[in-house]
Amino acid sequence: MDKKTITVGVAGNPNVGKSVIFNALTGSRQHVGNWPGKTVERAEGVFHYQSWEIRLVDLPGTYSLAAQSPEEVIARDYILSDEPDVVIDIVDATCLERNLNLALQILELTGRVVVALNLMDEVRRQGWKIDAEALEADLGVPVVPTVATEGEGLPKLLAAIVDVATGQRQTHPAAVNYGLTVGGYVESLEADLARMGMGGRRRWVALKLLEDDPQIVEAFQQGDLAACRLEPDDDALPVSPEALQAVLNRAVRLREGTRPDAKVEIVRRRFEFAHDVVHRVARRLRPVEESMTERIDRIVTHKVWSWPIMLAMLTLVFWITIKGGEIGGGWLEAGLSRLIRLSRAWLTSIQAPWWVSGALVDGLLMGTGTVIAAMLPPMIILFVAFALLEDLGLLPRMAFNLDRPMRAVGSQGKQTLTWGMGFGCNVTGVMASRIIENKKVRLASILTSPLIICSGSYGAGVALAIALFGDRALSVILSLVFLSLGAAFLATLVLNKTIFRGEPGGFVLEMPPYRRPKFGQVAWRALVDRVAHTMWRAVEFAAPATLLIWVLGNVPPGAPFEQTAIGWLVRTLAPLGRLWGLSGEMLTALLFTLPAKEIIVPALAMTYGLQASLAESEQVLAYLPQAWTPLTAYTFLLFFMLYLPCLVTVWATWKETRSLKWTLMGLVVPLVMASLITFVVYQTGQLLGF
Amino acid sequence: METFDISNWLWPAVSVLLAILLLWALRRRPQAMARPQPSRLVEMEDTLKEVYKLQRDETAVKAGALARAMGISEEMTEGLMEVLVTSGWAEGDVSAGIRLTTRGRERAQELIRAHRLWERYLVDREGMPLDAVHVEADRREHGMTPDEAAELDAELGHPAWDPHGDIIPDAGRRAPPPAGSPLAVCTPGDRLRILHVEDEPPALFAQLVVMGFRPGVEVEVVERKPGHLRVRIGSNLFSLATAAAERVDAAPAPVLPVPLSELPVGSRAMVAEVKGGGKQQRRMLDMGLVPGAEVTAIRTAPLGDPIEYRIKGTAIAMRRSDADSILVEEVRNG
Repeated sequence: MDKKTITVGVAGNPNVGKSVIFNALTGSRQHVGNWPGKTVERAEGVFHYQSWEIRLVDLPGTYSLAAQSPEEVIARDYILSDEPDVVIDIVDATCLERNLNLALQILELTGRVVVALNLMDEVRRQGWKIDAEALEADLGVPVVPTVATEGEGLPKLLAAIVDVATGQRQTHPAAVNYGLTVGGYVESLEADLARMGMGGRRRWVALKLLEDDPQIVEAFQQGDLAACRLEPDDDALPVSPEALQAVLNRAVRLREGTRPDAKVEIVRRRFEFAHDVVHRVARRLRPVEESMTERIDRIVTHKVWSWPIMLAMLTLVFWITIKGGEIGGGWLEAGLSRLIRLSRAWLTSIQAPWWVSGALVDGLLMGTGTVIAAMLPPMIILFVAFALLEDLGLLPRMAFNLDRPMRAVGSQGKQTLTWGMGFGCNVTGVMASRIIENKKVRLASILTSPLIICSGSYGAGVALAIALFGDRALSVILSLVFLSLGAAFLATLVLNKTIFRGEPGGFVLEMPPYRRPKFGQVAWRALVDRVAHTMWRAVEFAAPATLLIWVLGNVPPGAPFEQTAIGWLVRTLAPLGRLWGLSGEMLTALLFTLPAKEIIVPALAMTYGLQASLAESEQVLAYLPQAWTPLTAYTFLLFFMLYLPCLVTVWATWKETRSLKWTLMGLVVPLVMASLITFVVYQTGQLLGF
Repeated sequence: METFDISNWLWPAVSVLLAILLLWALRRRPQAMARPQPSRLVEMEDTLKEVYKLQRDETAVKAGALARAMGISEEMTEGLMEVLVTSGWAEGDVSAGIRLTTRGRERAQELIRAHRLWERYLVDREGMPLDAVHVEADRREHGMTPDEAAELDAELGHPAWDPHGDIIPDAGRRAPPPAGSPLAVCTPGDRLRILHVEDEPPALFAQLVVMGFRPGVEVEVVERKPGHLRVRIGSNLFSLATAAAERVDAAPAPVLPVPLSELPVGSRAMVAEVKGGGKQQRRMLDMGLVPGAEVTAIRTAPLGDPIEYRIKGTAIAMRRSDADSILVEEVRNG
């Protein structure tokens, strides 16, 4: 066999350029999915190096392996498993000490580690010199300085991986000295475990017991060591639950007997070790100067200037999204209409019956095409803008600035980021919520993102508002934007006071230094993948839905409007909307916009019997102002902006929560808020005599 | 008919009586260990400490000053002063002011020693929060003999400082009251602790006490101008005439662990303790906020919360409420 496989786990703190190295090595040959049973993204890629096939598995970025979050559990379980032949730990050389905390924990699990000392260019710029060889001697595993963005050091990294995997290079992983007291406890617990017949990693288990590690403690309580990959020796006797409990009790007594508690002492000793290492290997060559980050931060988080800056930034992103959407959408629509013409001509040439060409061209093709033309451009722009802002480091600053106002509704700053993205597209808003680690806040973000006006409903809403309100359209739209924001705030507040009541909502956020965004072709690749994936979902939902809409408008064939399925729907739904001043036509049209909000105008044209397909139409815009009073028009617009997320957003909610309950809540929350607010507005409007 | 025969009842009665006696004897033991604390003793010793703090340079302590310092009425104070004199801890006339006798001074020092040892004990051994130990130590110090104090001292490994940073006086050796310097000559910007407030002239003393100048209180000299000082106590700013500032002695305030959120922007501090438990504590620890680590407050968000800190080369933002679970000791430059 000439090709052998080496499996490599890629670990590291968040924001250390892990994905840059991963992308640089695997290029486009990667697969993005989820970790089994988790909502945490898992990326995997394969490439060839010399005669080896190397499989890289990107582990979630974590500060520690303490099993305190799903990410930490995933990273740790993976390293503990037999799967990886080598683990590379990518380390931010500009804050080596904090990064070594993770490195030392990895070294406690496995010796087959290669450390990539990344961001060395940054280190040099800051006037530091790091002696990689000295670090290698201290850690006992290969250390390779890299500049991932330039590809510097990657060949050496690969060579080191192969050396360690094949055993050509022996490693002697550094062990932290935990001091007389805690070190003594570790040894004595280790002896207990050995007596019980536990095999490898006894020292690590002893440490975790003293650290009060939730996963290990639970495994001991349940008597199920395999659950966290701690199998006893094969030839040893089975371990009794009583023995496990006894060891656990002993560990608890030992931990609580020291002050500060052994857990604190263990982490402290680890950092002390890291501190000593750093001061042995790092040398400052130039005096400290005020960094660029410092200067930018002073403005961006300024008491006064921060607000206009953030507003300008959001407006800019929003403006580009809408403008780009218009232009890109225009191109796509032009392409679409040509496609429609060609298909129709072709179908006529083969003499297809009217219902085939109608269903395929006017239903499927036109509906799906309209959805794509409307959604694709803003989605691409937003994904790029989001990645750009994140890479730049601006997003954490916004979360920092906006945390205080968000706390008033029981949430935290990062939620505003998902809302900001939601303004462009609710799908991106829901997906962006994954940057929030806190489960409660993440769910609240997902559930409230659909309340934010997206560029789809905004664009369609503007067209309607101009037709309906003429000169007053601007103030109408502005009031709708504010009402939607208010609804999002209110919903968050209510959620936090009811369902999420009493759950902790701490806010600890790293503020990474500003960095030039790096868009190599490989990062594009992942982006395109994601957009394509989402878009494909949109088509999957839009295709049957638009086909169905066409069928509803055209059965029975050739019947007058009142006798079509749509006419029947309009009559049936009519009583439902009375309290809100919504007619049957409106409700049916709203149902039709579930695939995408953008199609509201043609949908209205269909439900008012003006046309039988979802083609763009100016006719209905002229008709509606006569049919609706201003109050009805306003109520309808308001309900339309808030009521239900589009199907792709629902799918995104499912994907991010993996729970039927929360996906349903993602429908219920906007629907309830829309009904409530619209009811108040409509009834008040009526009382005031509008 | 039954005849009442005392002999039938004698032994049961005696044994019941003995049992009661035995129980009582057993019950008394822990009480004896805890030592009876007649409220009179507590009052007397509290007064003694207060007189000790007020008395300087052999000047007599008057009822008015003592009453203000203790926050009780003058009649009550006079009664307590009377008791001090009759018990031999003080001498002099209640109306003209009293002075501590040698015995009184020794007892006061014993009390201070006991108090500070107890504070050390409560923090080290019982894990009591710093702000709570003073009251508890006040309760436990009373009636403590020098031998018991020595035992506690040995148990704690002869600590030199109490948890507030004050020196624990040695047994037998007189703890010289810290000298300090007059506030009038202190450098602006210093954070100081008042050691002594001169009680003459009484009018000025009364005014100083009302403003909050008492022994133990922290002050900051903001600015020195000809003829007067600007001084801050807590959030109050005062203008103090130099003549008045001459009568207040102060020494640099000991560095106490404070919640991280109280660290002024731009200041450095050392992490003393990471409180709480569970995920939150672990997260803080893994971010590098371990005891002994250095942390700098960089800036606050535009609305004052959260705060950004620099810790081990990274910038981390956290809310005030989260930062409160971390106690730090401010590091002063130079």
